[in-house]
Amino acid sequence: MREARLSRRTFLAGAAGASAALAVGSRAAAAPAVKKGTSLRLWILKTYVEPTNKAIEASAKRWAEKHGAAVSVEYFTFEDMQTKYVAAIENKSTPDVGQLETGAPARFAGMGQLLDLTSFSRQIEGEVGKPPANVAPVTVVGGKTYAIPWYIMAGFWYVWHDVLAKAKVKMPSTFDDAVKVAHAVNRPKDNFYGMGHSWNRTSDGYGVMQSLMYSHGVGWANKAGKYQSIKTPRMQQVMKWATDIYKDGIQPADTLTWTGSGNNENFIARNIAQTSNGPSITFALENALAKATDAKERKQREEALANHVALPHLAGPDGRRMWAIAMSFGIFKNSKDPEAAMSLVAHMLSPEETVRVMQDSYGQFAPVLDKARTAAKEYFNKNENYRTFGRAAEWFVPTGWPGPVTAAAAEVQASNVLTDAPAKVIIDKWPIDRAIEFADKKIKEIYDTIGG
Amino acid sequence: MAESAGVAGAEDSARRPVSRRSSRRDTGTAVLFLLPLFVLVVGLIVYPFYRAVWLSFTDKLVGYPERFIGLRNYIYLFNDDTFRTVVKNSVVFTLGSVALKLLTGLGMALVLHATWRWRNFFRGLFLLPWITSTVIIALTWRWMFDSFPGRGFFNSVLLDLGLLGRPIAFMATPEGAMAAVIVANWWRGFPFFGVSYLAAMQSIPLETYEAASVDGAGSWRRFWHVTLPGLKHIMIVTILLSFIWTINDFNIIYVMTRGGPGTATQVFATYSYDVAFNSLRWGRGVTISLYMVPLLIVGIVLVSRYLLRDKD
Repeated sequence: MREARLSRRTFLAGAAGASAALAVGSRAAAAPAVKKGTSLRLWILKTYVEPTNKAIEASAKRWAEKHGAAVSVEYFTFEDMQTKYVAAIENKSTPDVGQLETGAPARFAGMGQLLDLTSFSRQIEGEVGKPPANVAPVTVVGGKTYAIPWYIMAGFWYVWHDVLAKAKVKMPSTFDDAVKVAHAVNRPKDNFYGMGHSWNRTSDGYGVMQSLMYSHGVGWANKAGKYQSIKTPRMQQVMKWATDIYKDGIQPADTLTWTGSGNNENFIARNIAQTSNGPSITFALENALAKATDAKERKQREEALANHVALPHLAGPDGRRMWAIAMSFGIFKNSKDPEAAMSLVAHMLSPEETVRVMQDSYGQFAPVLDKARTAAKEYFNKNENYRTFGRAAEWFVPTGWPGPVTAAAAEVQASNVLTDAPAKVIIDKWPIDRAIEFADKKIKEIYDTIGG
Repeated sequence: MAESAGVAGAEDSARRPVSRRSSRRDTGTAVLFLLPLFVLVVGLIVYPFYRAVWLSFTDKLVGYPERFIGLRNYIYLFNDDTFRTVVKNSVVFTLGSVALKLLTGLGMALVLHATWRWRNFFRGLFLLPWITSTVIIALTWRWMFDSFPGRGFFNSVLLDLGLLGRPIAFMATPEGAMAAVIVANWWRGFPFFGVSYLAAMQSIPLETYEAASVDGAGSWRRFWHVTLPGLKHIMIVTILLSFIWTINDFNIIYVMTRGGPGTATQVFATYSYDVAFNSLRWGRGVTISLYMVPLLIVGIVLVSRYLLRDKD
C-alpha cells in the first residue's frame, strides 16, 4: 500500500515539478493532529461534471483512510447551495468543512459562522503557496482569513469555429466584437442564431452581467466596499449592450427563459454560434466522443470537439474583467474537531490531491494556490481551450469589484437585481434610465440595511 | 314513597362520589387521548404560525438574531414594485388556474356520469395528472412549450403540419409564460375537481331528474336546476381548497420559469423563497407569504358561514 502511494506520489511529483514534491513533504510535517476515529462532515459542490464530484469525494476518503477517521460527504448543487447552508445555519447543523462560493466567506463570516483561519492560512501559504492577489480578498473579511481558496470555476466565451470561419469573421475579443460576429452568422430562418445569452437567475446570468459591468468600469461599490451609484453613462452602455442583443434578433426569442443548462444545450445542439459558459460544454463534447458507438458517430463528434472554441471572456472598454466562482474551504465554528477539519482541508489543498481532482475536471477546475497552479501547468497545456481555462485566475474579479467581497455585495448578486434590470427593459419595455434607477435604488437599500 | 324517596336519596348520595370519580376518570382519559392531538396541533400549526407572524415583525436575517421592527416589512412590501407585480401575478395565476380546473372538472364529471362503459377505467386514467409528481409535470410542460423545433412538442407539431413558418417562443413573453404555468397547474389539478363532482353527481337521486323531465325540463334545465344545485357544496369546497393550494404553489413555477421572464411569473411562494433564501432576509420573506393570509382567512370564514347557514 505504502509503495503504491509512493509511486503515485512520484508520478505526480514528476508532473508537478520539484516545488510540488517539496510542498507535499512539508505539508506532512506541519499537518494538524487528527484523533483516531474522528468523524467529519464535508459539504461539496456537485457540478455537471460528474467525474470531478467523484474525484473530490475520493480525495476526502483518502484522508480518512490515512488517519483512521471518517468523512461523510454531502453534496449541494448550484440550485440548492443557499437553501442548504441557510437551513443548516438556522438549525445549527452546519458541516465541519464546507466548500464556499465567491460571496459565502463574507456572508457567513459576518454571521459568525466561520472559524478564523488566519494562522492556518499562513501555514497553508508556506506549504502550497499564495493565491493570486486578485483572488485572495475573496476569503478575507476585516483583515482576517475565513476560508482558504481552492480553485476557480470560470465562464468562457464559447464559439463554433467552423461557423465563424464560413462567415469569414474574426474570433471575438470584446463584447462589441461578439455582437458583430452574431450579426454576421445569424440565420433565424434556419433557426440558427448568432448568440444565446440569458439574463437568468443563475451564474450564467448574474455572472456575465458582472463581467459586462466590470469590463466597462462599472461597479456598485467603491474600493473600500461602500455603495456607489451606478447611475452613470458607462452603466447606460452596459444596459444598452445587455438589451440590444435581445432587440436585434440575434438571439432565439426564448433566450431569457433559459434556466441553468439552456445555453449549454443550445450551443451543443448548434442552435447558437456563441455563448458564455463554464467548461461543462467541453466535458459534454469530450464525454460524447468517448461514448461514440460507430465510426460515423465518432467522426461527427471529433469534428464537434475540434470545432468548439473556448475564448477568454469578452473584454470591455475598461479591460477584461471576468467574474467567476471562486471556491474555497471554510471551517464552521460548530465543528466538533477543528484540528481534524484543518487537516482535511490541508490534505485536499495539497498539490498532489488538487492535481488528482483537477485531472478529472475537464478544465473546469483551475487551481489558485501557487504550487497547485505550477503542478497544473502541464494539464492545462493539452490544447488551446485548456490553455485558456488555465488562465482563469488571471482575469478573475470578485463580486463587488473594485472593492472587497462584502455581505452586501453578495446580497446584490443574490437578489437578482443585476439581471432583473435588463429584463425590465426587454420584457416590461422600461426605458434604460428607469431600469438603472430601479437597480440603483435596490442596491442602495441593500447597503443601507446590511451596511457598507 | 317517602321511604322509597329516602332510599333513593341515600342511593344518590352513595352514587355521587362514585359518579364524580368516574367523571374525573373519564375526563382524565379524554385528556390523555386528546393530548397527542393537542401536542400535534400546537407543535405543527399554532407554534409555526405564531413564529411566522412574529418573524414578519422582525428584521430577521439568516445567521443573525431578530430585532422587532413593527410593521416595517409590511410597509416596505406595500411600496415595493416587485411585490405589487407578485400580487398581480398570484391573482392571475390562481384565478386562471382555478377557473380552468372548475370548468374542465365539471366537463369531465358530466361526461363520466353519462358514461357507464369503462367509467372506472376513465376515472382512473383522468386521475393520472393528479398522482404524477409535480416536478415531472412541470418539466414535461416546459418541454411541450419549448420553442426550438425538434425539441418543443407544440412547435414541432405546428411546424411539421405547415401551420407555422417559424416557431413561437411561448415562454418568452409575460403573457405566454403565465399561460404556460396556468396550463400546467390546470392539467395537474382538474382531476381533483372532476372526481369530486362525479361523486357528488352520483349522490343526486335519480328521481329528481325524472321529476324534472316529467315537468318538461330539457337537459340544459336539468343541469341548471338539478345538477348544479346538487353540486353547490362540493363546488365551494373544491374551489376554496384549490384556491389555497394554487395561491401557495411553488413547484410548477419554480421548475418552469423561475418566476421569469423577468418577474412575469413571480408569485408569493417563489418571491418569498427568493427573498428568504437568496437574499437571506427571513423576516421579509415570511411577510410575503403572510400578506395573503388575511385574504385566505376572510375567504374561509365566508365560505364556512355560507355552508353552515345552508345546513341550518
